[in-house]
Amino acid sequence: MQTIMEQMPIVLNSLNAGFLQTLKLFFVTLLGAIPLGLIIAFGSMSRFKPLSLLTKFIVWIIRGTPLMIQMLIIYYFPGLVFNNPIWGGGETGRFLAASVSFIINYACYFSEIYRGGIQGVPKGQEEAGLVLGMTRSQIFFKVTLLQMIKRIVPPMSNEIITLVKDTALARIISLQEVIWAGQAFMKGSQGISGAIWPMFFTAFYYLIFNGILTVLLGRLEKKLDYFR
Amino acid sequence: MKKLIALIMAMAMVLSLAACGSNSSAPAASKDEAASSAAAAEGSASAQAPADSDSDLAYIQEKGVLTVGITDFEPMDYKDENGEWIGFDADMAKLFAESLGVSVEFVEIDWDNKILELDGKSIDCVWNGMTLTDEVLSAMECTEAYLNNAQVAVVNADVADQYQDMDSLADLTFAVESGSAGQAQAVENGLNYTEVQNQAAALMEVAAGTSDAAIIDSLMAAAMVGEGTSYENLTYTVGLNSEEYGVGFRKGSDLAEALDDFFDTCKEDGTLEQIANTYKVQAALVK
Repeated sequence: MQTIMEQMPIVLNSLNAGFLQTLKLFFVTLLGAIPLGLIIAFGSMSRFKPLSLLTKFIVWIIRGTPLMIQMLIIYYFPGLVFNNPIWGGGETGRFLAASVSFIINYACYFSEIYRGGIQGVPKGQEEAGLVLGMTRSQIFFKVTLLQMIKRIVPPMSNEIITLVKDTALARIISLQEVIWAGQAFMKGSQGISGAIWPMFFTAFYYLIFNGILTVLLGRLEKKLDYFR
Repeated sequence: MKKLIALIMAMAMVLSLAACGSNSSAPAASKDEAASSAAAAEGSASAQAPADSDSDLAYIQEKGVLTVGITDFEPMDYKDENGEWIGFDADMAKLFAESLGVSVEFVEIDWDNKILELDGKSIDCVWNGMTLTDEVLSAMECTEAYLNNAQVAVVNADVADQYQDMDSLADLTFAVESGSAGQAQAVENGLNYTEVQNQAAALMEVAAGTSDAAIIDSLMAAAMVGEGTSYENLTYTVGLNSEEYGVGFRKGSDLAEALDDFFDTCKEDGTLEQIANTYKVQAALVK
């Protein structure tokens, strides 16, 4: 019988590879969803009614359905319904499909946070800008944006930490992230079978990474503290 | 200025919609082609070779790769130290792909989604010690059976001697993998059971005492319980049935027949026996 100490190197190797997938999905989602969220936020605040209604409708659908279902639809529908498996069967295709689902989903949540941040800046500032002869884009970039960023940091931190853990949902389309890697040892993988501890051990990966994120986001919040 | 921003936003939305549109119009076009030629091939494939477009074999050869859906399941499909997929099924799949002149790609899938994966063409076959149940046979084009298996009851070792026959199982609560052959056995024998996500979770239920027993594959039980596992206190007793393993392809695929022929060839030249010996499953081979 192998002891846990003997199993450790094999398990850690496998969990590290899994966590790399988790991290990749996390960063790709942030990179895509942060800018896309801003575009959606502008769409839903637009004074052009059809545009804002359409955006709100899309946000309602994305926020109103489980991410897990969205991922299943995005990954399997092209092949099932249109007979054209655009993603392919390999690991890359699964990762791309998961990324697209996560970016769209998180962009919708971010857009509502942005909207709150922008609308929380007092109207008087915009009016003052207009009186001074600034254009609307000048007002947004020079007056509103920084105050909005300050306001959205706490709710964004919340979403970002949730995102780290939500990446585990990608296993529904068989993306081999860290929990998948841990669970593989329950059934048997690389000569270790029936081991339960690796799955529970994955919690440490999330905990440590979220610890680092919490510290970084806390620092950012402090940095933005000089104006209130 | 307001209008300008609104215009830019509107353009951005239209562009993003247009992007969606072009994505979905391409598959829609190939759907029409598929409908006209009853084809399942990609747009380009059906355009070039409409005559072959209902043949799965032609689709695979066009694509140049056979994508095999598997799970990590020793001794059928599992990874060696170098991360290479080996096992009785994996080795046979490599040889089969070679005989078709294509390369082989193994993809780990969620077992619950195997039919979805097949129909969605993200995999081309399920080759992973799959029990030929009625559901599997009705949803997939299956080969003839190539390996025998059984469903067994797993209980705590210290009470195992009380549960050596079918009748004694009646008052136990079972954990079974949802949609598995084990569940089918539980239903057939009128046993009291709970569905869990996979066979490993079923074992954890027994180890944790939340269920009295589990029903899993005998090949898997041999690998997963007893000495050297996290389930040292578990053992398996009653065999509930005997069953057979087969390989599943998309419904109507001509690959199932091609693989049957390939299995016959390998039986004759002894390759099948030889690979079975490597993974110690020779006793279970269908003669």
